[in-house]
Amino acid sequence: MGLLHWIALIFAGGFAAPFLHRRLGDRTGFLLAVLPFGAFVHFCTLVPAVAAGGSLRWEFPWAPSLGISLSFFVDGLSLLFLLVISLVGTFIVLYAAGYLHGKTTLGRFYLALLLFMGSMLGLVASDNIILLFIFWELTSISSFLLIGYYHEQESSRASALQALLVTGAGGLAMLAGLILLGNAAGTYEISRMLAMPAGTISALPGFLPIFILVLLGAFTKSAQFPFHFWLPNAMAAPAPVSAFLHSATMVKAGVFLLARLHPAFGDYALWTPVVGSVGAVTMLTGVFLAMHQSDLKRILAYTTLAVLGTLTMLLGIGTELAIKACMTYLLAHALYKAALFMTSGTIDHETGTRDVAVLSGLGSKMPFTATAALIGALSMAGIPLLIGFVSKEYFYKALLDAPGPGVLWEVIGVGASVLMGALAIVTGIRPFFGRFRETPKHAHEGPWTMWIGPIILGAAALKFGIFPGWVGTHLIGPAAGSILGEPAFEANLKLWHGFNTALFLSILTVVLAVGVYLIAPRWRSASQPLYKGLASVGPESAYGRILDGILVVARWQTGILQNGKLRNYVLTVGGFLVLLVIWVLPKNPVVLDFDRMIPPSILGVTVCVLMIIAAVATCFVQSRFTAILTLGVVGLGVAVLFFLFSAPDLAMTQILVETLTVVLFVLAFYRLPLLREFSSRAVKIRDALLAAGFGLVMTMLVLIAFHFETIATPISEYMSANSLPMANGRNVVNVILVDFRALDTLGEITVLAIAALGVFAMLKLRPNKP
Amino acid sequence: MNTLILNTTCRVIMGLLLVFSVFLLLRGHNLPGGGFSGGLVAASSFSLFALGYGVEAARRLLRIHPCTLIGIGLVVALVSAVVAPVWDLPFFTGLWDKNPLPVVGKLGTPLLFDTGVYIVVLGVVLQLVFSFSEEEPEKN
Repeated sequence: MGLLHWIALIFAGGFAAPFLHRRLGDRTGFLLAVLPFGAFVHFCTLVPAVAAGGSLRWEFPWAPSLGISLSFFVDGLSLLFLLVISLVGTFIVLYAAGYLHGKTTLGRFYLALLLFMGSMLGLVASDNIILLFIFWELTSISSFLLIGYYHEQESSRASALQALLVTGAGGLAMLAGLILLGNAAGTYEISRMLAMPAGTISALPGFLPIFILVLLGAFTKSAQFPFHFWLPNAMAAPAPVSAFLHSATMVKAGVFLLARLHPAFGDYALWTPVVGSVGAVTMLTGVFLAMHQSDLKRILAYTTLAVLGTLTMLLGIGTELAIKACMTYLLAHALYKAALFMTSGTIDHETGTRDVAVLSGLGSKMPFTATAALIGALSMAGIPLLIGFVSKEYFYKALLDAPGPGVLWEVIGVGASVLMGALAIVTGIRPFFGRFRETPKHAHEGPWTMWIGPIILGAAALKFGIFPGWVGTHLIGPAAGSILGEPAFEANLKLWHGFNTALFLSILTVVLAVGVYLIAPRWRSASQPLYKGLASVGPESAYGRILDGILVVARWQTGILQNGKLRNYVLTVGGFLVLLVIWVLPKNPVVLDFDRMIPPSILGVTVCVLMIIAAVATCFVQSRFTAILTLGVVGLGVAVLFFLFSAPDLAMTQILVETLTVVLFVLAFYRLPLLREFSSRAVKIRDALLAAGFGLVMTMLVLIAFHFETIATPISEYMSANSLPMANGRNVVNVILVDFRALDTLGEITVLAIAALGVFAMLKLRPNKP
Repeated sequence: MNTLILNTTCRVIMGLLLVFSVFLLLRGHNLPGGGFSGGLVAASSFSLFALGYGVEAARRLLRIHPCTLIGIGLVVALVSAVVAPVWDLPFFTGLWDKNPLPVVGKLGTPLLFDTGVYIVVLGVVLQLVFSFSEEEPEKN
C-alpha cells in the first residue's frame, strides 16, 4: 500500500466512523487509531529514500485542459509534516476516545477529525497548487466543524464561524494568487516551479500581486498578525481538536506553504522584510497576550501564536541556519505543544477547571499526566536534554547570523523565549507542584488513552534531545534541504556546541524566565492598561465591525432587491439586462440579413398574430385564471413555432412544460385573494416601456447571433457532424444534453433539485405554520 | 375534484403516459424525446392522478417521497459520470455497449445519465405539485 492508499483509507475511515460508532460505541477510537498509525509506519519506511536526497511523485490526470492533475510530491519537507501529522493524529484519535467518552456525537466527531487529517496529509503531499488549494479549503471546512463541535453553545458557533471566515477569506486570496502564479510560471506543479533556476519565479512580471495574495492565504491560516485573533477563540473546541489543529497541524499549513514556496519566492526583495517582520510581530504579540491569560488552554493558544510567528520569522530570514532552526523548532513544538494541549485537556476533564490560579499540587493525583506535562514544559522552556533546547540553540544561532537589524533580532528573540519559558512554568509545572487545592471535580488520573500520547511524545522529545544526530540527518536535514533547494543538505544537529554566545543566551533565558515567572502577577497588573487599550483597537474589533458592516449592507440590498415581490424581481432582472445589452450594442452592429432568413409562411404568421393578441389580452384581463389561459396560448404558440422550424424536441418539451405550468399556476392561484389592486397609470406606462425595451433587445440579440453565423463557424455544425460518430446518437439535442454538455446538464438538474427543496422549505417548514 | 369520468379515464391514461414516458426516455438518443421530456410526462401522469384521487393517494401510489427521488436521480447521474474514470478515461466520457438489446436498444452511460435526469425531473415536478396542492388555502 502506498501513501495515497493510506490517505484514501483515512478519508474512508472518516465516513465509516458514524456507522462504526453506532455499533462499537466508545471502542471506535481504538479501531480508527489504526489508520493514522498505519500511515505513520508507512511514512517511516519512506524516510531512508528521502533522507538520501530522493523524492517521490505520483500523477493522475484530472482536468488536463485546466492544468489540474492529481499529482503528489513527497520530499523532505512533506515527509516531516506527514510524520508529525500521522503520529500526533494517532494519539489524538485515542485521546478523543477518553476525552469525549460517552458522547453520542463521537462518531460525527471522528468523521470531521479524520476528514481533517486526510486533507492535511493531502495538503502537504500535493504537487499541483490547485490540488493543494482544495485540500487547504477542506482543512478549513473540517476545522470549522471541529471548532464548532459544541454547537449548542453560541460562543462556540461564533468562534467556528470566525475561524472559517478569516481562513476562508485568506484562502480565496490565495486561490487568486495561485492561479496568477500558475499562469505566470506556465505550470501548476510545485515541483516544476522549484526545478526552475533560482530567481525565475520572483522575477516574473506581476509577481507583487502573486506575492501579496499567497502570503494572505498563508498568514490567515497560520494566524499571523493581524489575523491572529481567530486562533485563541478557536479554543472553544474540545481539547483533542486544539491539540491537533492548533498545535501540530492546521495552523502550520501556512508555515508549510511559506516553506514550500521559499525556493521560488525567497529571493524576492520583499520576502525578508515582510515575512520576517510579520513573524516577529506575531511572536511578540503572542507572548505578550499569553502573559495576561489565566485559562490554561488560552495560554497555550497564545504561545502557539508566538511559535507560529517564530517559524514565520525564521523562514523570512531565510539563511541556511534559519531554515535549519525553523525545521528543528517546528518538530520540537509539535512534540511538546500537542502533549501540553492534551495534558491541559486531561486536567480540565478530570478536575473541572482550567484556571491556572486554582490548579495546584495535582502531581500526586495524576502522575502520568504530570510527567508528560513536565517534559513538555521543559522542552518548551528550552532546558538541555530535550529537543526544545536544541531548537532554541539553533534559533539563537540563526538570529546571531541573520542579516539585517543585527542585535534587534537577538533582543526580540531572547525576549520572546524568556516569556515563553515563564509560560512553560505556568502551564506545565505549576499545576502539578505545591500544595493540593480542591477542584470542582474530584481530581484523579485520566484513562490510559489520555496520557499514553503525551508520554510517548515526551519520550520522543527526550530521545531527540539527547541524540539529535539521527533526527538531524534523517528528518531535519532533508526538510531544510527541500526549503533551501539543496536535496543533499546536511544538518548536523548537535546537543553540545561548546561555550559560545548561543549557549550563554540560553542560560540567560532560563534565568530570566524564572525571574519573570516570579514577578508575573506584578507584570500583569503593570501592563493591564496597555492590554486593555490594545484590545479595544485590535484587529478583532475591526473584524467585528467589518462583519457588522457586511450584515448592514446585506440587509439594505435585500430590502431593495429581494423584497419578496415577484414583479419587482422581474423588473430588476429585466431592466438590468436591457441596460447591459444596450451598453454592448454599439460594438455589435445589428445587420438585417433578409436573404438568409426563411420566408414567412401563412401558418407561421397566423401563429405569431395569435400569440401577439393573446399577449396583449393577458395585460387587460380582469381575472388571474383568464390570464393563465391567455398566457398558455402564447406558450403553445411558441411550441408550434418550434415544430414549424423542425425542432420537435423543443416543441415537445415546451408543450409539457406549458401543461405542467398551468397545473402549478392553478394550484398556486387557488389560494391567492382575488385581484383587487390594479397598477396605477404611471406604473403601467413604466412596465410597458420596460416590456417593449426587453422585446426589442431580445430581437436585436437574435439578429446579432444570426449575423455571427456568417463570420464564424457555429458550434452547432460540429455538434451535428459528430453526434453519431462520436456520441452514438442521431438526436443532436439529446446528445448535447447527455454527452457533449453533460456537465452543464448535471449542474442544471442540481439547480432544479435545489429549487424544489427551496419550495419544500418555504411551504412546509414555515415556523409559524398553523 | 371527484368525478367519475376523470377517475375512470385517469387510471387508463396514467398507465399509458407512464409507458410513453419510458418510451421517450429510451428513444431519446436517436429520436425526439429524452430524460427531460420523459420525466415531465411521467410527472404529469402522477399529477393527473393527484387531481383525480387526491394528493394522498398519489403519494401512496408513488411510494417514494419526491425529495428522495431527486436524491436518487442526482446520484444516478453522478454515477454515470464516474464510470469512465474507473478505466482512466476523463470524467463523463460516454461508454456504450456495442450490442443493442431487443426493445430497449443500446445501453450506455449517457442513457444512465438521462435516466438520472428523468428521475430528478419527476421528483422536482411532483415535489412542486404535491407541496402546492397540499397547502390549505389561508382563510382570512
